[in-house]
Amino acid sequence: MTTRRAFLAGLAMASLPRLTWADVGNPAFLAAAKSASGFVLHGLSQQGQSLFELPLPARGHAACAHPTRALAVAFARRPGTFALVIDCASGAVLHRLDPPEGRHFNGHGVFSADGALLMTSELVAETSAGRIGLWDASDFRRIGEWDSGGIGPHDIKLLADGRLVVANGGIQTTPNGRTELNIETMRPNLTLLSEGTIVDRAELAPEYHQNSIRHLALMPDAIAFAMQWHGDPADPVPLLGLWKPGETPELCPAPEAMGLAMKGYAGSIAATTDRIAVTSAPGGLVMVFDAKGAPLASHFRADLCGIAAMGDDFIATDGLGASWHLGEERLTLLGKQPVAWDNHLIALG
Amino acid sequence: MIRALALSLCLATPALADFPETVRDHILPGYAGLATATQDLADVSAQSCDPQDLRPAYHAAFDAWMGVQHLRFGPVEQGGLGLAIAYWPDPKGSGRRAQMAILTGDADVLEPARFAEQSVAARGLFALERLLYPNAELPADPCPLIRATTADLARIAGVVYAGWEDGYAETLLTAGEAGNTTYLTRPEARQALFTQLATALEFTDDTRLGRPLGSFTRPRPERAEALASGRPLRNILLSLQAQRAMVETLTPDAPHTIAAFDHAIAVGEALDDPLLAGVAEPESRLKVEILQQAIEALRQTVLSELGPELDVGIGFNAADGD
Repeated sequence: MTTRRAFLAGLAMASLPRLTWADVGNPAFLAAAKSASGFVLHGLSQQGQSLFELPLPARGHAACAHPTRALAVAFARRPGTFALVIDCASGAVLHRLDPPEGRHFNGHGVFSADGALLMTSELVAETSAGRIGLWDASDFRRIGEWDSGGIGPHDIKLLADGRLVVANGGIQTTPNGRTELNIETMRPNLTLLSEGTIVDRAELAPEYHQNSIRHLALMPDAIAFAMQWHGDPADPVPLLGLWKPGETPELCPAPEAMGLAMKGYAGSIAATTDRIAVTSAPGGLVMVFDAKGAPLASHFRADLCGIAAMGDDFIATDGLGASWHLGEERLTLLGKQPVAWDNHLIALG
Repeated sequence: MIRALALSLCLATPALADFPETVRDHILPGYAGLATATQDLADVSAQSCDPQDLRPAYHAAFDAWMGVQHLRFGPVEQGGLGLAIAYWPDPKGSGRRAQMAILTGDADVLEPARFAEQSVAARGLFALERLLYPNAELPADPCPLIRATTADLARIAGVVYAGWEDGYAETLLTAGEAGNTTYLTRPEARQALFTQLATALEFTDDTRLGRPLGSFTRPRPERAEALASGRPLRNILLSLQAQRAMVETLTPDAPHTIAAFDHAIAVGEALDDPLLAGVAEPESRLKVEILQQAIEALRQTVLSELGPELDVGIGFNAADGD
């Protein structure tokens, strides 16, 4: 890993007002982590090697990258009270985003395709009603917000046509904590927004109303979603689903003998054009499905959580500091660093 | 720190207890015992299908399983073999349903290779319990299914034992060595074992005790584990004893953990309620709750003493996801 200091020295000559991702070594991924020095954000190469490490004031969750400028927005873990716009070249915090009074960030966000708008997953602290916060990416001013279409939104993703899909997890929590208040009555949904207008919304069948929809990955013709089960832990429910807007979401069960291996918890999801990978840190495994949601394989590794697509394969990270290449057959070690990689590995570009 | 010091001072002295001892003195003998006990059970069933004749061997096999059931990694994890040995809890009764379909269906399914493909919920110790301790008259002669189930159990236990003996033990023992891509460091091996303990204690707390306890206003004694064969408390005690033995192979330096095991085991042994039926009455329920509290305190001690002693903890993401 290049230290930030050495890295900056190398960059000094090239220093420009607006650096691009190429100037910071073309990281392929961003990942929050915990290191000996505290909570950090890393940029990782395609081979899972750290290209830079930047400090965070508290535990991060996910991040999102500006489509062109070497800017990342690192989100605090929920209930999130900050998001930092970081210059990935200098490590400087260019802006600290504070949610408006009575709002919390919820760990995820996304830029519009042209990079002009930042959208953040938020909730109204008092009620957990979902909001999408809108920020002008030229100066990171708050410019408005949309209704997310549900309770407790978590991941959000931008479709190629510019519409925004929201995983409304359905869980109401205490205003400043993570204590869950409505497990008996929760009703997660997937909401599709076009310029802030709800154009489609899908719920799960009633028996799965306690399956919190939390994370999303985009397939060529469907939205893959990963869930966390809050019903009876002995009940082996599907944790992966596929949604084509306009249709009913389809759930994708694991093989029967592996139905409890994920422990009711899908932590991260990623998709290539023909495969979907879902991780479970409590189960210590990644489960791979084909594009139609049929199970293909399971690979075990303790505390595996972060996952992102890379070409036709995947890269995964774990809480023990290892990064892995996931091909069709197996997990292959890429490297290990003295950090605990956090929940998500975010692909750039 | 203590470990590093010990290493530098007594290089010539072999460690008294560390994960290699756990492999040699706990895991391998445990799985060998399960393989033997399940083979005995299959042998007995080949001679007789009379439940009276089979029950002692069933209990011996179940006891052997309780000696290793807290180990949910390695060969037992491949293809869900652990579930095929013991599928519980089964809140929707899928095992009974699938098993009764087999019992009244085509006998070809009982052929070993076909039977191995049947639902995990319809196989294993809990499936056998339904045949040896039926709660109603069975719709067909269970003898062929008893034999298929015991043979399948013996086969799986053999596969799991062979998996350890012929490969996975070496994988664990060579943790941190070049070429080992399963355990990249020796602490990772300790962490894997530690995770088994913490998870198993949580299972006993939340599931073996939590399911029958239900809530104060709605106790669920009928949900106790292996109730028909009278094993709810026995399973808890055997699992605590097995985990205590595992800790002793892992480290000589966890006195509070051992004391907390001894306390929980003593509370359990003093509980005169083998079926945990007492959960339904306030006074006797309290005694079960005290056992649950002792196990919860034990788990906290494992996290606060054993974890630091082994230089490990619950995984960063597993402990607290989102």
